[in-house]
Amino acid sequence: MAIFDWQNELNRDGHRVVISGQPIAMHCHHYNINLQKTLEETLGTEGVQLLYRSAEETNYNSLQHLFNQYYKIRTLKSKLEMASLLYQNCGLGIIHFRKVRPSSAYIASTSSHHVTGWLAKHGRRETPGCHFTRGWIAGALEVIYQRPLGFYMVEERQCKMKRDEECIFHVKER
Amino acid sequence: MAIDVSKIIHAVMEGSKIRESKGIIPLFGVYLSLFSVNYYDRLSFDFEIKMGQEREAEAKTLLIEAAQECGYATFQGIRNSWEWEQIVAPMIENKEDQIIGFAAVAVAFGWGDLAVEELVPGEKLVIRASDSYEARGYLEQYGFAKSEKCYMLRGVAGAFMDLIYGGVYPEGRYVFSAAETFCRAKGDPYCEFIARKSSHRPDA
Repeated sequence: MAIFDWQNELNRDGHRVVISGQPIAMHCHHYNINLQKTLEETLGTEGVQLLYRSAEETNYNSLQHLFNQYYKIRTLKSKLEMASLLYQNCGLGIIHFRKVRPSSAYIASTSSHHVTGWLAKHGRRETPGCHFTRGWIAGALEVIYQRPLGFYMVEERQCKMKRDEECIFHVKER
Repeated sequence: MAIDVSKIIHAVMEGSKIRESKGIIPLFGVYLSLFSVNYYDRLSFDFEIKMGQEREAEAKTLLIEAAQECGYATFQGIRNSWEWEQIVAPMIENKEDQIIGFAAVAVAFGWGDLAVEELVPGEKLVIRASDSYEARGYLEQYGFAKSEKCYMLRGVAGAFMDLIYGGVYPEGRYVFSAAETFCRAKGDPYCEFIARKSSHRPDA
């Protein structure tokens, strides 16, 4: 994994910020959580789906680009490590791929930007709220297992926004 | 001393490479995340589409207000941070310099090549960007727009004025509001944001 040099991948291209040449934006928890709340309150389930799908599709494309660039990263283990490293280095939190198979997976997150941000702004919620991370996981596994977008469905069974100990995600085929 | 924009950009880039053990980036008093601009563009523009023509104005207002509220809290955190104190504060000679500093942080965050074109203290702020990720994203995804599309930057321009001239935090939110008078997504040569005192405050 030493070949994935994170520090060198985060750069500037003129006024743009890029990771491995792909433009990114730095946003803080205020904006990310405001967007989530706006979408959830205004569109309900449809808003939740929009958050999920946007994260899924974007992460799918970003990771695809990275894996093409780092073509020596081939094994499942090294690809999952790279995905976790990307999540962590983007300030999104810590993600543990605990049991991963082509048709199902069990994933835990002990810390996340969205959880920290939500709790700081709004406190505990009654329902799981890591829609971004669910989508992010779906996109990651679809790239890693070379499945089409939308192939996996990710459900959050425990959530730190509800004050559970960890966020627990279950993945299965749609 | 003039505000050294490159120094601020350098500080943000260096700081954004520092991680604490939980994978969170605490920088300039806020928690930062780094993610593809495509995600933010898709959220905004698909939200508009899903709201439909009847609720188009409401969708725009919600997106602008989400950004303005965020900009108000974010840049309040930023100007009270240790990093601001160390890096930016020594370059600030007057209130107006703070806005130049805010714009430099926004550039550092990858939001666009923002430049303050005009600032009339307490009255008017004009910011231009020849390349914002919102306008570029819209153009790439949908082609020319019929109306302006930089909702995030529009909210942020209002927030900059709220923080400097809106009164004591947190009472000054939405004292100002910004219009986007030109937008690259419509085919204009640049995006332009003009913030003035607001005629209505949504939470007043």
